[in-house]
Amino acid sequence: MSEVYKRELVFVVTAIVAIVMILNFFFVIPGLSPVAEQLQAWALIIQLIAIAIGAANVMRVHSSLVQRRVQGRWLYSAWLIGLFAILTILGLINLATGTQNPFYQWVFDHVYVSLGTTLYAITGFYIFSAAYRAFRARTLDAAILLLAGCFVILTNAPIGEVIWSGIPVIGRWMLDYGQVPAMRTFLITGAFGLLAFGFRTLLGKETGFYGEVAE
Amino acid sequence: MSSEGIWDRLQTIDRRVFYWILFIALMIPFIRPIGLPIAITPTTRGLYDELAEVQPGDVCLLSISSGVSAWAECLPAMVASVKMLVRQEAKIICWGMGHVDVDITWNKILSQVPELETYTYGEDYAYFGYIPTQETTIALLGSNIREVFTLDKYGTPIDDLPVMQGVNTANDFRLVLTSDTGDVGSYYIRQWHTNYDTPVAEVGIAMLGSSYMPYIHSGELFGMTVGSRGGAELEMLIGSPGDATITMDAINVSHILVVIAIVLANVGYFATRGKR
Repeated sequence: MSEVYKRELVFVVTAIVAIVMILNFFFVIPGLSPVAEQLQAWALIIQLIAIAIGAANVMRVHSSLVQRRVQGRWLYSAWLIGLFAILTILGLINLATGTQNPFYQWVFDHVYVSLGTTLYAITGFYIFSAAYRAFRARTLDAAILLLAGCFVILTNAPIGEVIWSGIPVIGRWMLDYGQVPAMRTFLITGAFGLLAFGFRTLLGKETGFYGEVAE
Repeated sequence: MSSEGIWDRLQTIDRRVFYWILFIALMIPFIRPIGLPIAITPTTRGLYDELAEVQPGDVCLLSISSGVSAWAECLPAMVASVKMLVRQEAKIICWGMGHVDVDITWNKILSQVPELETYTYGEDYAYFGYIPTQETTIALLGSNIREVFTLDKYGTPIDDLPVMQGVNTANDFRLVLTSDTGDVGSYYIRQWHTNYDTPVAEVGIAMLGSSYMPYIHSGELFGMTVGSRGGAELEMLIGSPGDATITMDAINVSHILVVIAIVLANVGYFATRGKR
């Protein structure tokens, strides 16, 4: 199949899928709904396959790093491969229980949970340090931003109300009315951008995601 | 000899000093709890009021899209919501996406809601586990759950679960509670609320409070808990103080420290600006 046919085929398939999904979203057309559902189910299957490919790719990249003994990295890659193998084996030991396997659960409960919550908690320390070292009112804009930030921070903590009952009133006003118009604008303009992107894709003018097929 | 004043020196404090200050300050409420009163925000009130309207037998969805790293912020509100749903004798369906650790979060909810002992699995609640995709799948779940799930997490065919009888589209759900660290709440708004008018509420991390506020104003979200503060408010409203209420002391200390740091840093900045 020539490159031209390959390219046109991708355009046509994309356009058909897009038209089916758009029509199904906005109109009730007899017989179209099962087709749309089938396409969505295919998308789900494709994404599942992509995860498997992703896992295989992680192994490929890190195996290469270990093979080449890349300084400062290969040990971490070896560690990753080792843990990947352990978890895979633990998951496969008893396929009937799967992730209910007690060993598998132990790894999640006592390693993953501890590391996950610790990493997230550590960001609090960084934020505290950053608040002192980086948050400077160098300009009027920065000063307004900092002032608003302080009010919102104290609004989110019960102590703000104890310090001064006006703090949550101002903070809530900022959350409800100060930032909502900006966030709404951001959402709406983003949606229009997405619409334009979708339209260009439908017309075959957007080639970025076609990969090698596109010129 | 250095002619640096106190403000100059304060500008160059080692970051480890801050880490220690925060660490020690966070210890204080653990040793001596402060227990300040917690005011209820309108977004949490909205969530509670709608949960209070749920009738016995109504089917409600708990969608877990937050990982264990967000337990401090999302888990208490999820636990409080499930407690409330059990009180209302609602039927609960749960699945998750976006985070592979959905099972651990679900198990944690089960362990923290003793009221679920009065429920029978399969009849009153069901769990479907992790789905590794996002908006497309949510759209598909809205139109036909059985296209996505044929079995529950424990291998029982979906049609053998009494709780799933007559439940196959978003129309069959009384409401959706989506626990979030990202965009999944907006997927439910677009695919379930817009198409099927299913009420959606957000149980989000604090950072999402501002992102989802436009949806609260437009009525697309009927309620929202924002971070652990929102969880504490919901715990207060259902009269069952839990983890979030306990962590409020730490929230108070850490937040006030951040504000003090910002103020001190800026006083120092302006005091030394002339020299620079």
